[in-house]
Amino acid sequence: MDLAYTPRQQAFRQEVREWLAAHVPAERLVTLERKEGFDQHVAWERELASGNWGMVTWPSEYGGRGLDLIEWLIFEEEYWAAGAPLRANQNGIFLLGPTIMEFGSDEQKARFLPPMARGEVIWAQAWSEPGAGSDMAAIKATARRDGDHYVINGQKTWSSRASFADWGFGLFRTEEGSRRHKGLSFLLFDLEAPGITRRPIRQLHGDPGFAELFFDEVRVPAENRIAGEGEGWKVAMATAGFERGLMLRSPGRFQATAARLMALLRETAERASPGLREDVVRLWMNAQAYAYNTYQVAARIMAGGSIGAEASLNKIFWSELDRAMHRAAMHLLGPAAELRTLPDGRANEWLEGYIFSLSGPIYAGSNEIQRNITAERLLGLPRVGAG
Amino acid sequence: MDFRLPPESVELAEAVREYLAGTHGSDVLRRLDAGGNRDLRIWQGLVEMGLTGLLVPESHGGLGMRLLGGALIARECGRACLAEPLVDTALVAVPWLIARGETGDLAAIAAGEKLVALPHTINPWVADGEGAELASVDPLRNLVAAPEGAGDDPLLLDLGALTSAAQLVGLSEAMLDQAVAYAQVREQFGHAIGGFQAIKHKLADVAVALEFVRPVLWRAAQAMDDGLASAPLHVSHAKYAATDAAYLAAESAIQIHGAMGYTYEVDLHFWMKRTWALSGAWGDRNFHYRRIEDAALGGAHPLGPQHTFA
Repeated sequence: MDLAYTPRQQAFRQEVREWLAAHVPAERLVTLERKEGFDQHVAWERELASGNWGMVTWPSEYGGRGLDLIEWLIFEEEYWAAGAPLRANQNGIFLLGPTIMEFGSDEQKARFLPPMARGEVIWAQAWSEPGAGSDMAAIKATARRDGDHYVINGQKTWSSRASFADWGFGLFRTEEGSRRHKGLSFLLFDLEAPGITRRPIRQLHGDPGFAELFFDEVRVPAENRIAGEGEGWKVAMATAGFERGLMLRSPGRFQATAARLMALLRETAERASPGLREDVVRLWMNAQAYAYNTYQVAARIMAGGSIGAEASLNKIFWSELDRAMHRAAMHLLGPAAELRTLPDGRANEWLEGYIFSLSGPIYAGSNEIQRNITAERLLGLPRVGAG
Repeated sequence: MDFRLPPESVELAEAVREYLAGTHGSDVLRRLDAGGNRDLRIWQGLVEMGLTGLLVPESHGGLGMRLLGGALIARECGRACLAEPLVDTALVAVPWLIARGETGDLAAIAAGEKLVALPHTINPWVADGEGAELASVDPLRNLVAAPEGAGDDPLLLDLGALTSAAQLVGLSEAMLDQAVAYAQVREQFGHAIGGFQAIKHKLADVAVALEFVRPVLWRAAQAMDDGLASAPLHVSHAKYAATDAAYLAAESAIQIHGAMGYTYEVDLHFWMKRTWALSGAWGDRNFHYRRIEDAALGGAHPLGPQHTFA
């Protein structure tokens, strides 16, 4: 064990810090859950790409820097400490990108990855259906083969980024009459394709962050299928693993939130009860623990290990930590917690963040599902419904 | 930057785990509870594995390991609910004696011939003393009043707190294992209770808590090995978090065992009671919280994502 950063890592941190200091927008962007803000965030994606910071862990042939996981952690620490914007393309960067790298053909990698890295194509995910949320094998949307095309019919819902994004990815039933996880295929589709109707859904905060998608005889080229026909479940499980795992929620983000929370505690110290003070300090400790855990997992992966069902532990922990930190901030703000804009003119980021944090324990497989996975696959308890 | 455990320490800890699993089962705990709290054959086995000399320099007949390796062994002592006084002597006293340059007893300690339990003002009582005067909730822990004028050496405190945290992690892991094993065999309503979500989610919560305590513990041990000024903060973080996780593990385990868990006949109680004893030893939860708060809010420790390993 060696917890010192190497000179190379320190130099890299300095390089990231300087670039961000020179490029992070001084004005806070409008939320990417609105069209205006989404466009601002896309512009930021392209700014990042101009400095070759869009996909730092990707191989350089696809527009990345080929960095290792420790360097990625350093990048993310600096990114969040600099107050840089949320990533509009996170579905592409953290979910679809790794999926294509693992399961895509060379042609698909060359076609889809570089534009993703350049921020030219923003991706939405289309996993869920009205009857298939955490129970994703209940998917009903169909893709019927017609020559060298699939013809898609059905509905997806709660599709993050789909109100404004360019392309989507999701699972469709390609074998008529198949059940559960069999007969599904993983398809990529242009959200502007004829026959797709998007209906933005107002989320809890009032903005249309995600959308319903209706497919009416939508023609998708067969070459947009990732892996084989009927192999969609296997691919989707890998994607879901990426979603729960290391990449989507880097510790730097939660440490930055914890640091802001500690600052808020100092500002409101005269009002904070001892119990609330301890809550905040404990949450700061948990943000640190999350970082240590991630560094440990990253070091293990770099040495040839893998992350499996532990991703569920990770997902439970960060999502509940994020919610608890924002809840503590709401309590620290007291009566001001209800204001959308604080008396000093700043947006009430804690309120927005609290609302957003409520989605963490729900998406990417609800935490109830993650607890089942933990109990069954890590602890070896019997499956739900089995005696 | 490489936050992985040293392979040689992991291998030794696994060997200790196997040895204790084979020789220090619940039958031994019950026998020791019924009469006398030592088993010199088990002690001799630990000596032969080199554990009394784990942190003793090779020049004095030991293995010369660092505290990180010691924390891994302390965790195994917790997992086995070990009755032998290995931790206080080999993992607390030895590094403290070395730091003070008092190396005279090290060879005898490494040979398993001398036991040392150092008093500290933070502990009103000393465990494993001669002639138990005080009844602990832990039936295997002989308490005697601390001698007058016990010191308040901060290094000693951190060593005691670190190794207590490590034992709490091992105790928690063992209690989780016992609860999982019980949930797999105990049937109610025609099913193993481990199939019910209420049980699964309770056990998953313990698994989550432990997953995020372990790296804090390794971080604290390494901080002490590296002599960081922030080491006391990391040690307190480990003790505080390990205490909370251990109480969660103990309470979840007894709940899952149901009425069986509330008996002296089921082994779980040994682990629970050790948990309660160690939670209060070497600085209780409140003490360690205060140290963390002072460091974190007082500005002694830089905050934020750029300071993970600062």
